[in-house]
Amino acid sequence: MKKKEIINMDELDPQFKYEIASQPGGEHILKCVQCATCSSGCPVASVSDRFNPRKIIRMAVLGLKDTVLREDFVWYCAACYTCSERCPQDVRIPDLMAAVRNIAVKEGCIHPAYKEQGRLIGELGRLYEVTEFENEKREKLGLPKVREKNEEIAEIYSCTGVGKVVL
Amino acid sequence: MSKSEPRIGVYVCHCGLNIGAVVDVAAVAQYAQTLPGVVVSRESTYTCSDNGQRSIQEDIENHNLSRVVVASCSPRMHGDTFMKTCETAGLNPYLFEMVNIREQCSWVHTDKEQATEKAKDLVRMAVAKVRLLEPLEKQKSAVNKAALVIGGGVAGIFSALYLANAGIKTYVVEKKPSIGGHMAQLDKTFPTLDCSLCILSPRMADIGKHENIELITYADIENISGYAGNFQVTVKSNPRYVIKENCRLCGVCAEKCPISLPDEFNMGLKKRKAVYIPFPQAVPNYYLIDAGHCLHITKGGCMLCQKNCPNDAIDFEETEAVRELNVGAIIVATGFELYDATQKKEYGYGRYPNVITNMDFERWVSADGPTHGKVVRPSDGAPPQRIGFIQCVGSRDEKEGAVYCSRICCMATVKQATMLREKYPSAEIYVYYTDMRTPGKGFEEFYQRGREHGIVFIRGKPGEIEEDDNHNLLIVSEDTDSGLILRNTLDLVVLACGLRPPEALEELAQKLHLSRSPDGFIMEAHPKLRPAETSISGVFLTGCVQFPKDIPDTVAQSGGAAAMAAALLTKDEIELEPVRAAVDEELCIGCGLCEENCDYGAIEVKKTEEGMKAQVIEVACQGCGVCAASCPQKAVTVRHFTDGQLLAQVTAALEPEVIV
Amino acid sequence: MKYALFLGCTVPVRTMAYEISTRNVMKKLGISLADLEDFGCCGFPLESIDHTTYLSVAARNLAVAEAANLPVMTMCSACNGSLLKANLAMQDKNTRDEINANLKPINRQYKGTTVVKHAARVLYETMDTIKEMAHPLNLKVAAHYGCHYTKPSEIYADFEDPEVPYSLEELISAVGATPIPYENKKQCCGGSVMGIDESVSLEMVREKLSHIKKAGADAMVLVCPFCDVMYDINQKRIENQAGEQFGIPVLFLPQLIGLALGLTPDELGLKMNRVSVRNLLKTLGDGNEQK
Ligand SMILES: Cc1cc2nc3c(=O)[nH]c(=O)nc-3n(C[C@H](O)[C@H](O)[C@H](O)COP(=O)(O)OP(=O)(O)OC[C@H]3O[C@@H](n4cnc5c(N)ncnc54)[C@H](O)[C@@H]3O)c2cc1C
Ligand code: SF4
Ligand code: SF4
Ligand code: SF4
Ligand code: SF4
Ligand code: SF4
Ligand code: SF4
Repeated sequence: MKKKEIINMDELDPQFKYEIASQPGGEHILKCVQCATCSSGCPVASVSDRFNPRKIIRMAVLGLKDTVLREDFVWYCAACYTCSERCPQDVRIPDLMAAVRNIAVKEGCIHPAYKEQGRLIGELGRLYEVTEFENEKREKLGLPKVREKNEEIAEIYSCTGVGKVVL
Repeated sequence: MSKSEPRIGVYVCHCGLNIGAVVDVAAVAQYAQTLPGVVVSRESTYTCSDNGQRSIQEDIENHNLSRVVVASCSPRMHGDTFMKTCETAGLNPYLFEMVNIREQCSWVHTDKEQATEKAKDLVRMAVAKVRLLEPLEKQKSAVNKAALVIGGGVAGIFSALYLANAGIKTYVVEKKPSIGGHMAQLDKTFPTLDCSLCILSPRMADIGKHENIELITYADIENISGYAGNFQVTVKSNPRYVIKENCRLCGVCAEKCPISLPDEFNMGLKKRKAVYIPFPQAVPNYYLIDAGHCLHITKGGCMLCQKNCPNDAIDFEETEAVRELNVGAIIVATGFELYDATQKKEYGYGRYPNVITNMDFERWVSADGPTHGKVVRPSDGAPPQRIGFIQCVGSRDEKEGAVYCSRICCMATVKQATMLREKYPSAEIYVYYTDMRTPGKGFEEFYQRGREHGIVFIRGKPGEIEEDDNHNLLIVSEDTDSGLILRNTLDLVVLACGLRPPEALEELAQKLHLSRSPDGFIMEAHPKLRPAETSISGVFLTGCVQFPKDIPDTVAQSGGAAAMAAALLTKDEIELEPVRAAVDEELCIGCGLCEENCDYGAIEVKKTEEGMKAQVIEVACQGCGVCAASCPQKAVTVRHFTDGQLLAQVTAALEPEVIV
Repeated sequence: MKYALFLGCTVPVRTMAYEISTRNVMKKLGISLADLEDFGCCGFPLESIDHTTYLSVAARNLAVAEAANLPVMTMCSACNGSLLKANLAMQDKNTRDEINANLKPINRQYKGTTVVKHAARVLYETMDTIKEMAHPLNLKVAAHYGCHYTKPSEIYADFEDPEVPYSLEELISAVGATPIPYENKKQCCGGSVMGIDESVSLEMVREKLSHIKKAGADAMVLVCPFCDVMYDINQKRIENQAGEQFGIPVLFLPQLIGLALGLTPDELGLKMNRVSVRNLLKTLGDGNEQK
């Protein structure tokens, strides 16, 4: 028999909910009434047990900060906005997920897939590398060349400090 | 000022710990003692207690006080109490001033030192003002001993009957062609499952017959003026084009009428004609013609109804009638409107035939409904075997502008599910809910019986309803209790729509100068202590116009509103507040700005021997001060709030040293 | 009308068919396009990393267009959503000041005036002309709206209905084809979960393809390169994994419209579609011959 895990509430972080509420996108977390409109229509929750937006909000409100940041489930939200359109309390779930991810990044828990995307964008100015090969192919098709590199984004990274995280 | 120096008594209240825990009351009282004119200054635990009041009265006698200041709670709580205290001791009650050091000080501050300083400031300001107050006398006005009830739903019906039975002449004005309101549309009522019209229609009939009641239906309130004890109300009733005395309800007219329209009473599920009776038990019980759709009235010709009526009851000459009613009290009972479910597009109401509202359900299940009481799938008339209810549609929904819970829809659903269970013992019934709310006598028991009858309650609100080619409804939802995602195919879905303030309420509220709470319903005078009164004296409230409630609560509130109205109407005269505007005719240049700005029509520019001058209609004036603020000549003052009095207060606030 | 064409990251590398068809259809409709070489990533993935960085990167593009005094036409729905969301945020003075401070070192400033429209929206707004010019296509087409083309509704105040979307189906009808309803039409393609848990995204794609198959559509039409990667580029893979055959041709909206406007398969890049469109073209050809 697998022993049931009991959570000691005094070991949780009651500040976590306020931390989320102070992030852009996370402002409405405390309005949630757990009605399950979000999880009922969520296309990801309907195919995967790893993800349930309502439960993530619940865990955050309870203060399960470590679990929420270290497990990878917050990264499952597809930001499809289905739930956000319907949430009766205007919780703006995908924005809230982004806010939690922003906190995770600050706590050193960035998901490797996003770290890689962030790196590419910083280094190239775009998500997919454009080489001479691509530009030749484009030319053959009669499409204009695209710039291979855009340095301006790296500049922005150094202003906001994101470079330290992803580069 | 040549008058002798005023003798002021100051009383600073602890209000138990409400004030005392934050403000150093003793220090404030000591400080007050140092202010000019203050002869006694005391602290007390509860100034409003008998002891506290007696101490004020003794001081008035022993120290010959000519002014009193009490620093305690809000004047809304105890202003009247202390005015009476002064009056009983022989001091004119308008020589009293109240300082709020609770709501405006101790309850909103935590820093004791600063709160104490603020309390001192407030007391100093009051002392500065009280010195300049003048005695005022209350005027009396005769009470018109009739009442008006606006709205003829169950709320209006019961308050009118209570008043009429107490011997008070009562007018009932109803917008629709019949009284009855939403209760008349219900089939059965929770939690006892009494037949709704069986219990309501005898009372409706009483309204029609009562010697003290005059019923005016199909009518609109055009204008309301006046004040408690003496309102003038203009009512316009629309022509029905049918002569009441002649109509025998034979229905020949409707048979012949070529115009077919959705029947509002049946939520558009049935048709009615342009000449019709809203429902068989309607009061008044005779036909009417819907002028907006009648061929003859809109285009000319037709008149089939008139030609065929065996009783000569159709009269196209009838015109609208305008009446003036004089009443002493008004009860507002205009009820609610159902949330418009087409707004929730994800549930497809209006697009999917088998998605209906809770009010539609009441008509489907009624013997007078479209199928004589058989609940069917609207798309194909088949008996439904899998039925879902979705709760909180348009309630508890910030995005739809209603944060509140509509209070009746959980119970209405349990009722409807129970009725379905009786009709279709083998049907599967699912209720999708967020929280089930059943606080009421016998309610939880009723809900429990529902569960025992096998109705399945699923905690989780569906995001969306989809429809397949056969108009079956598909719902995917989370069951939060088990954590499972469930996919359900249903024959019929009932949306538990919430209750909204009627759209036309805005206009009526403006005519009556009533405030509305953020939820849009009419604001009561006090949420706990004066739930059946409004902020306007002489105007009372009952039923869903104040907030969603069920029938038992509505009837109880109607009793309260009627009792309060009767208490006013059984007096011969009432006292009028003397805090009103007064015009200094010498300064007035007759510009009319005051008249333009007064919301109550209480100030008028009239021709006098000295030219055009503003004059206050004392009985109508509410003392709001808008006229005084708008007068460019400073010719208008509001007694008890004169410029001099207010400026003294402001000066005392800004310059502690100069108080005299 | 002239727009600055915002290609984003995916289109110019992975879905050139979308680009060719868009350019040629716009040309046919008399809408001119400018290429601004300073455009870069729209910022979408960065929203999950750092909100301020995301806004700055998105606003940079808006500033580029503002300086050129041109409205922006996007092709990727994620780009469209990302730019419009940032545009809305940048209407607030404080946010604008904060973000402009990050743009200062690269000598850019955004005042907040740029208009952003999805290419499909531009086509929808040109529907009357399309109707006039179209040779009716005898096809049953399933519309896939995806997410960011209609949501969040606060950035699409005057366009589309997130619960009952209509523009693609109206366009399908405008070119004489029949829009086919299917279960769970608004379901997301799952593209952004691909890097997190492939099995989840692929299952989402499988569900949709089987719903469309069940509804009997000849093709599906979509308006986003991300969605295309999921349904077209990954279709074979999913068929292999799931042991289920779909064979549903996936067209970009401009490819469908282009066919009706008489553009050649080459002008529409149809050869580059992964799921073969040969049978589809044959059906169309046969239909036309019969007429
Ligand atoms: C689906 C449903 C089921 C319900 N089931 C139950 C139940 O089983 N048991 C229960 O206890 N309660 C039930 N209720 C609640 C019940 O309907 C209300 O408690 C009751 O109707 C409130 O009565 P009312 O008079 O305040 O309002 P209403 O019934 O709305 O009556 C208001 C009246 O005022 C009139 N009016 C409106 N504006 C004006 C105006 N400007 N001038 C003149 N007249 C005006 C209207 O025409 C109407 O006749 C149910 C409600 C719903 C929606
Ligand atoms: S829909 Fe909104 S209120 Fe309901 S559970 Fe989800 S976040 Fe909470
Ligand atoms: S936005 Fe995220 S949480 Fe909401 S429905 Fe889409 S995937 Fe689920
Ligand atoms: S035909 Fe005449 S009497 Fe009969 S219901 Fe109509 S109006 Fe009344
Ligand atoms: S005159 Fe009007 S009400 Fe009478 S039968 Fe004709 S349409 Fe009907
Ligand atoms: S009574 Fe029940 S259904 Fe109605 S709003 Fe309240 S919780 Fe929701
Ligand atoms: S104080 Fe002036 S404005 Fe106010 S009600 Fe009286 S007359 Fe009208």
